[in-house]
Amino acid sequence: MVGIALAVYPLFGTGYGVRAMLQLFMWVALAGSWNLISGLTGYVSFGHVAFFGAGAYAAAILIVKGGWPWALAALAGGAVASGLALLIGATCLRLKGPYFAIAMLGLNEVLRVLVSYFEGLTGGGLGLSLPTLDATVAIYYAMGAMAALVTLVAYVIVTSRFGLRLMTIREDEVAAEALGIDAFRHKIYAFLLSATGPGIVGGLFARDQGYLEPISVFPLAMTITMIVMTLFGGKGTVWGPVLGAVTLFVLQEVVWARFIYVHQLLFGAIIVVVVLFMPRGVLGLLQLKYRLPRTI
Amino acid sequence: MRDLHKSFGGVRAVAGVSLTLEPGRIYGLIGPNGSGKTTLFNCITGAERRDSGDVVLHGRRVAGLAPHRIAQLGVGRTFQVIRVFPELTALENLLVVTTGSHAAAEARARELLAFVRLDGLAHEYAGNLSYGQQKLVEFVRMLMRDPSLVLLDEPAAGVNRTLLNELLDAVRRLRDAGKTVLLVEHDMKVVMGLCEFVFVLDHGEKIAEGPPGVVQADERVIEAYFGR
Repeated sequence: MVGIALAVYPLFGTGYGVRAMLQLFMWVALAGSWNLISGLTGYVSFGHVAFFGAGAYAAAILIVKGGWPWALAALAGGAVASGLALLIGATCLRLKGPYFAIAMLGLNEVLRVLVSYFEGLTGGGLGLSLPTLDATVAIYYAMGAMAALVTLVAYVIVTSRFGLRLMTIREDEVAAEALGIDAFRHKIYAFLLSATGPGIVGGLFARDQGYLEPISVFPLAMTITMIVMTLFGGKGTVWGPVLGAVTLFVLQEVVWARFIYVHQLLFGAIIVVVVLFMPRGVLGLLQLKYRLPRTI
Repeated sequence: MRDLHKSFGGVRAVAGVSLTLEPGRIYGLIGPNGSGKTTLFNCITGAERRDSGDVVLHGRRVAGLAPHRIAQLGVGRTFQVIRVFPELTALENLLVVTTGSHAAAEARARELLAFVRLDGLAHEYAGNLSYGQQKLVEFVRMLMRDPSLVLLDEPAAGVNRTLLNELLDAVRRLRDAGKTVLLVEHDMKVVMGLCEFVFVLDHGEKIAEGPPGVVQADERVIEAYFGR
């Protein structure tokens, strides 16, 4: 039902509405991707937007310099992001949790500086403009597909024994290893999956925006938003990131429209409330209380 | 296990210990606090890298391998402090172990839970179980892979009498099934009643070995425990 409604929405919706939904899809896909590594294995990635930015720039460069069609370029963005994840994961996923978090934060800063530095390819600080093209409705569908795909991947993983093994890394990595679980290999798989979605989504974002600059695709605030959405909805669950993204996105749009200056404040307050009073998030809380199946 | 060494900074936790374990027997590893028992366990399972020395399992050298490889080769262990996965159910705690198809794993997991009479709590989160029940979950979880060498770190600690007797029976059944059991235990009654052979560590060195009765009367052992 929801799927059909969303599928026909662009036929009736206003331009603003379609753009807002497109952004919501993007957040569902981003939060859901972050959840695959951090929600399941407990390895908190503080630089996840790096994959989004890498995908955005890769796709933009392919479109501008290579004349690639945007859909293909976005997929290539996903490939670049997963390649990057393999490179980073091979070293950083051997670190213990907190050190991994810091390393990811560093990765994002390094990428932003690199993108600014290679002006010939990226336009540097001046940014990179894509040829004009109105593809909003097509990108709406592509983003929607990504949101659905990431959620489907989460569903398949969380309800599988592979997903349970990822959770054992979060629960107790030493015990997992002692049971014969190859924690490093599992983390690498989860990390690859978690990076590919943001890479593709970044590519779509680049086409949709038509203009990229380093600060617009590598902001720390975007990683924080992915984290808050997932934590609010329930980390390590299938629908937690979806619930979190919808709730916080709607809240942000409504509040932002009414009170421009307090929306940051409210967002901060939500973080504090979630961390203090329901660290498992809405679904996590319900799951523990009513023992919901993992399909939720 | 031959001539195993492990130091932390200037502290020699394990200094040249050699043990030989035969299948189908229960061995005890005792010694005062800080004598290197848990470190020795960690070196066998790969949780800690040994500085030098060898660990050989069925003629195969396992020292230096990653902990998950050693587990896959047939070494199972429980921990001194319980390490269940609290946010996974009792059943899921067992299901994570990679063996065969999902259906086969689930059948085995349910069988093992029934073995320790926890089948009624299969879908309870492990974190909500009592201390003793968590200990049983940890114990049968380790059996999922059907290990040939079982290392138990203080299985009796904090477990009530009834539960303890069940646990000890389970250990004897493992022995009867041809597995090698090595356990660290402070409760001398348990050690004397269960183990056929005992190794005594003090300051990282093996100071005595033999049947429990003999070791108990050994002067060096008495000295290590009670001082001169």
